[in-house]
Amino acid sequence: MIAAIVIQAFDLRAALRPRPRLQAKPAALAPLAGETLIGSVTGPAAALGVRPGMRLGEALATCPQLELVEQDPAAVEQAWEEILRRLEDAGFQVEPIEPGIVYFETKGIERLYGGLEPALKRALAAVGPTWDGRAGAAERRLAALAAANVARPGQALIVSDDRTRSFLAPLPLQLLPLERERYEELEELGVRTIGQLAGLPGAAVADRLGPDGRRAWSLARGERDSSVAPRRPVAALHETLEFPEAVGNGLTLRRGLAVLVDRLLARPERAGRPPRKVAVWARLVGGASWRRTVTLREPTADPARLRAALGAKLTELPAPALKLRLEVSSLAEHTGEQLELVAAEGEVLQHRLREGLRQVRAAVGAGGVSTVVEVAPWSRIPEARAVLVPRDD
Amino acid sequence: MVAHTRSTRSSRTARRLNAPRPALVESHAGGLPRRVNRQDVSTVCEEWRVVDRWWTEEPIARRYFEVVLETGENTVVFHDDDAGAWFTQRA
Repeated sequence: MIAAIVIQAFDLRAALRPRPRLQAKPAALAPLAGETLIGSVTGPAAALGVRPGMRLGEALATCPQLELVEQDPAAVEQAWEEILRRLEDAGFQVEPIEPGIVYFETKGIERLYGGLEPALKRALAAVGPTWDGRAGAAERRLAALAAANVARPGQALIVSDDRTRSFLAPLPLQLLPLERERYEELEELGVRTIGQLAGLPGAAVADRLGPDGRRAWSLARGERDSSVAPRRPVAALHETLEFPEAVGNGLTLRRGLAVLVDRLLARPERAGRPPRKVAVWARLVGGASWRRTVTLREPTADPARLRAALGAKLTELPAPALKLRLEVSSLAEHTGEQLELVAAEGEVLQHRLREGLRQVRAAVGAGGVSTVVEVAPWSRIPEARAVLVPRDD
Repeated sequence: MVAHTRSTRSSRTARRLNAPRPALVESHAGGLPRRVNRQDVSTVCEEWRVVDRWWTEEPIARRYFEVVLETGENTVVFHDDDAGAWFTQRA
């Protein structure tokens, strides 16, 4: 079976970790710079009528005592990574979708924990009680996600295959992979639940909503969706430098970065492998955080090249930093490159191409590289001539 | 409610290339396109029909037009006779 764990308003919960008392008060994530829409909201704020995505003015008019919490993307990323590692340590091979939603396959792990329900309970325990995680399991991803959404905090809900369609029917369309405009379009037509969408003729849905709509319709009708593609666990490799006082001077920041690069390269866990993807993170004055990721064109353990690649990012710091951290997100597989006296014809180009593709995959994740495969080049139907096949090898 | 994210589409699923996309087309009485995506059509270069898979449950009956818009852009649209709707596609 496929299981999903959902933590609602994860970004807000992560931002509120240093101030947990705010969880019990009306609070919302403040809009990003230049935007006017608020983010996730706490339960008390929702009870007073504040909804995520509301305009700030409207939210404050609805609930004058609403407290605004600054967005903290680095805290979200860090908290989410900690949860994923705890799940992996407990034996779950996870496929994270976004902070707050993760899938895993229960086959194999059920025997370890003595059944499906104990395995889900163990997964919720690994997530931790403070996050109010909800678990759902079903034969399909959509049903597992829906079950996790319907479950109460700390509860695991299992939906058997024969009940899937009736279970999904009354649920809202927002569980389907559609763009916001499509939901609105469907709601204007009076289609509000998955069951109502499933009852429409497929050709009409495809005509009105295009290929994505057709796919959502198929999912609503109970057709099998994709399986879980677990991530490769990443090694925790980071170094932190805490400044005695806030630093905004570019030269000092670059020197701090140079120290971090040297420390990171000296770590034995690296086992000689050069970093492929690195991230620089800073805790800013006022409590906000900042983070930039760099994917190297060619993996390197040369301190000068790493400093040059990362140093440029430091100029984008929006405020003085109290803490600077350097993380390795991905290491190359090789430890060195043996030069050849005479390279075989085309080999250099092939090698560069492979490296380029690895770089793209490291930058955008699985599915970032695809191959065009001609299946019927002679066809008179243009979309039948070729398909795009992801290359994750 | 945590909405289904579009990124959950499996990264390993093969996808169709060049799938038709809905287009906003106004046509003359004879069916020739007059405006495509709010731009006037200056010339209809070519027209052809594709009728296929009539023996299946998803038959195809399309009337294709290669047009040049007033902006100079060359584009291909087709009218799907079954769905009664217009689409754009690289032919």
